[in-house]
Amino acid sequence: MRKLVALTVGLVMIPASAMASDLEELLERGHEASYSAEQIITCSNPDGIADAVVRLSQSGGDLHVAAPVSSDVEITTGYGGWVLSQAGSVVSSTELDSSEDPADPRYTVDDGTPAAFLGRRATQFEMRDGDTLRARLIFDNETGALLKALTFVGDGEVYCERRFIAFNPTPPTIEMVEVDNDNRLLRSDVETELPEDLAGFSRLDVYSDEDGFAFGYYSDGFFSFAIFETPSVVALDEASQFQIDHGVYRVSYSPGQVIYVWETLSGGLAMIGDLPPDMHEAVLTGLPAPERRGWLGNVWKSLFG
Amino acid sequence: MSHPSVLISAYLDGELNRDEVGRLLDHLAACGQCAAELEATQHVRTAVRSLPMMELPGGVVSEADPVVVPLRRNRGFLVGAAAATAAVVIAVAALLTPAPTSVTVSDLNSRFGARVSLDPAFGPAKVVVPEIVQVGG
Repeated sequence: MRKLVALTVGLVMIPASAMASDLEELLERGHEASYSAEQIITCSNPDGIADAVVRLSQSGGDLHVAAPVSSDVEITTGYGGWVLSQAGSVVSSTELDSSEDPADPRYTVDDGTPAAFLGRRATQFEMRDGDTLRARLIFDNETGALLKALTFVGDGEVYCERRFIAFNPTPPTIEMVEVDNDNRLLRSDVETELPEDLAGFSRLDVYSDEDGFAFGYYSDGFFSFAIFETPSVVALDEASQFQIDHGVYRVSYSPGQVIYVWETLSGGLAMIGDLPPDMHEAVLTGLPAPERRGWLGNVWKSLFG
Repeated sequence: MSHPSVLISAYLDGELNRDEVGRLLDHLAACGQCAAELEATQHVRTAVRSLPMMELPGGVVSEADPVVVPLRRNRGFLVGAAAATAAVVIAVAALLTPAPTSVTVSDLNSRFGARVSLDPAFGPAKVVVPEIVQVGG
């Protein structure tokens, strides 16, 4: 067993001796691999099963995600960029300037075992937090592409399964969408009350926005989430209530992702991430509790900040 | 004209105009009862006005010493004015205050997705699938 130092973005900064493992080589190759695939995502959320089928195309580190079944929505992402387009028109986009060094992972990874998937030679790795299995990853030996990923809740039940159902290891043609850079965010030194450490996650960096909200990005070396400080509560359609001792939240699940929103005396907070459900309460409890400000409070805030 | 007691008092106070005075004097000339009432009222007024002014010793009407009626009236006015001003300010502020910037789920997805793409673990295991792409659940 060894620490998951392989899951660091600065692979070139890691001493060569530390890069010798199979996993590190696979990750590096997988990041640069060119392929196209269809992936099915199935997640067992507290409100039921959520699933999606997406078409992936990766070339030179840019990942293109499309939903072949439901709509003409496409996402192109990679290297800090994110573009959501529909019928060829940009719906929303963000470009981030830089990121902080990765978090120290809290997981250990085994040495890997031979596996087969989609008729291809592969290697399976398991990630554990102490004795708790948190992820099982199967990489294609030739390309380094992650063919299958299982993530687990603390009791051993599967939280999400992401598996390729078709894989073509030939370079795809990705048509990049023209985007202006008016939504380019810089990593900020803005003062924030967001905690540096939160339920085993480390705050890696904070970004601020001209629209008046900031967000901090947290990671534990594999799972990650962002906490947004917003001027008002984010509207969440088709949300359900999530109640803990700390307060009542609105929550919405989508395949592999959860969003919580709640009101505080200073505005609104939102959490969006891919962490398993058994980690949610600890994260929420470490943040300001839900509290309604009321009409007079809104006027006071507008007058005096 | 019936017995105009009210007019008699007003006459003594100099509040009647010339026509009213003329009509009252005509009535007094014909009505002994009213003439007597006029005379009696005049005597009472003269007697009251002839009383000597007395200096009240301090504390006799202690509750009345702090002459607060005008002051209370002013303070009430000030409080009311202040409350009205505050209400106007709040109302104007509420009307003029621009609505807070509306942050959408799409904004959150976009920013989180961009940041995840810088994550070392980025790849098919961390592809952010927004709700818009959802096909089941």
